[in-house]
Amino acid sequence: MTAHLSDAAAIETSDLRKRYGPLTALEGLDLVVPRGTVFGFLGPNGAGKTTTIRLLLGFIRPSAGSARIFGLDTWSEGVAARRALGYLVPPEALYLDMSGDDQLDYAARLSGTPPVLRDRFLDALELGRGPLRRRLGTFSKGMRQKLALVMACQGDPELLILDEPTDGLDPLIQRAFESLLRERHRAGRTIFMSSHDLAEVERTCQRVAVVRAGHLVVQDAVADLLRLRRRTVDVRIDDAGAGAILALPNATRLSREAGRLRAAIDGDLNPLLRILALHDISDLSIESPTLEDAFMAFYEPAAAGPGPNGTAGVALTALPPASDGTTGLGSELGDDDVFTREVVTTAGGPR
Amino acid sequence: MTITLLMTGRLLRRGLIGLASLLLAILLFEMVIPPVADSLGGTDGLEALIRTLPPSIQALTRTRPEFIAVSGLAGYLSTGFTHPLYITLTSAALVTFTARGLAGEMERGTIQLALARSVSRPRVYLSRVLGLVIVVTALSVAGMVGLLLGMAIARPAGTLVWWHLLTTISVCWLLFWAIGGLALCGSAAADTTSRAVGWATTGIVIFYVIDYLATIWSLIEPLGFISLFDYYDPADALVNGRIPLDHALVLALAGLAGVAGGYTVFTRRDLPT
Repeated sequence: MTAHLSDAAAIETSDLRKRYGPLTALEGLDLVVPRGTVFGFLGPNGAGKTTTIRLLLGFIRPSAGSARIFGLDTWSEGVAARRALGYLVPPEALYLDMSGDDQLDYAARLSGTPPVLRDRFLDALELGRGPLRRRLGTFSKGMRQKLALVMACQGDPELLILDEPTDGLDPLIQRAFESLLRERHRAGRTIFMSSHDLAEVERTCQRVAVVRAGHLVVQDAVADLLRLRRRTVDVRIDDAGAGAILALPNATRLSREAGRLRAAIDGDLNPLLRILALHDISDLSIESPTLEDAFMAFYEPAAAGPGPNGTAGVALTALPPASDGTTGLGSELGDDDVFTREVVTTAGGPR
Repeated sequence: MTITLLMTGRLLRRGLIGLASLLLAILLFEMVIPPVADSLGGTDGLEALIRTLPPSIQALTRTRPEFIAVSGLAGYLSTGFTHPLYITLTSAALVTFTARGLAGEMERGTIQLALARSVSRPRVYLSRVLGLVIVVTALSVAGMVGLLLGMAIARPAGTLVWWHLLTTISVCWLLFWAIGGLALCGSAAADTTSRAVGWATTGIVIFYVIDYLATIWSLIEPLGFISLFDYYDPADALVNGRIPLDHALVLALAGLAGVAGGYTVFTRRDLPT
């Protein structure tokens, strides 16, 4: 399947815009999904995630800009672009009068690719052969979601586009599906998924992009976002040590009572650790950040209070280049237009 | 082509029960027409009966007593193909099929099953046109099968030229093709089934009303050419075995224009959310 594909990124959008009359659904999206990555696409409801996916699939036409899959334009070369693509259709878009087996066969025939992974996915998602003989009208929501997942993945496509893939699945099946995704990733496949389940994204994805109100807010490696985000440090330390910590440029004082200091540290922990090594401490805890912590600031239009050290908002905090030297937050927001917009619209810093 | 036929088959199977029901209703309706002929006293009785009807009611059946007198059994039987119930049943089948095929699939999202894969929009559209051709043919034949069954059962007095049945099937086919093509165009443009059904039904009713008013009202008569029904004359086809070339062309081109318009819209539009 990969032989005919160019060496271009799996997904690349350039100044992609979509307007519906006066309503702007997507505004100048520049997105790069490298081949072989599991890419999380996040954002609050109405942010433009589904619009982006529909543009990628050629369901709607861009108002401006372009979207490419493996270098092929998704509108003018959509048929060729979709040859390497598996898409998770919403469960309500299945034919309810068909049996599960017939639905899978129908999808495979439309794709023109043999369903080499069907059994593997059916087994892993615990979708028995018996129920597959029943009409989909008798399926529960979760079963339909499983069937839609099998449909999307059964042909082992080079690129999987999944919109809320684990919606309606129980936690065990959710973990089983995540395991399947990691398996496909190891096989070199690219996975582009939107999700509201940030813990799932953290477990599954290497890179993420966040959109809000039609704009790209951030695009980076998950590890870098976690490294950059704010941690809460709770330490029992003498006054000199506390003073040194609070003098750090990335520290914000939260409280100081009875020899205990609580402070917020943005980004790099090394300066803090160097200070701690020089002072006597009797107790220390550093809260591990989660992706949810990291992203809530991006989700919320106006987090409470100013950012640390007087910065204006989330987009300004802790923005060294990404460790892989590619698309760090700073570089992504290097576009003045987007950068300014994010700073202006985001009144507060991260939590 | 295999993929196109696969999608056509899926579309037809999905609406099979509803379509089969309407085909059966059309068959049964036409089957009733021949037995009624003798029960009314043959051609003379029919002529007398129609003469008692006011012109506005005669116009509804698109016939005249003098025509029945001249054309005999064939003229009477042709009223089965212009009867409002026949038009309603066939239109219902065409409107529901076309509305379901594009607008309905876009509304429910099932069209994504094909369009998210390497299936082009022209190919999806072609599968709907093929389906339309099959449905149009089935509708045209169902009425004639019903008529033949009725003839076999009742054996009414009078003569009928058998090859004229083929001409009648053809004129029915042309009308249904025209209606179906235009309805498909509406379905390609609509976001929901109900909107597609509404547009198509309104169009058919407007055509019918214009044709009806043009028959009974001299003021409207010059506008009769606007209506598709103005070019639909199964009586001429069944009695004389004739379809005027200009009528056939208008109906064929109307259907083609609808199909072409639908293609243009469908291949360029955004799918509804």
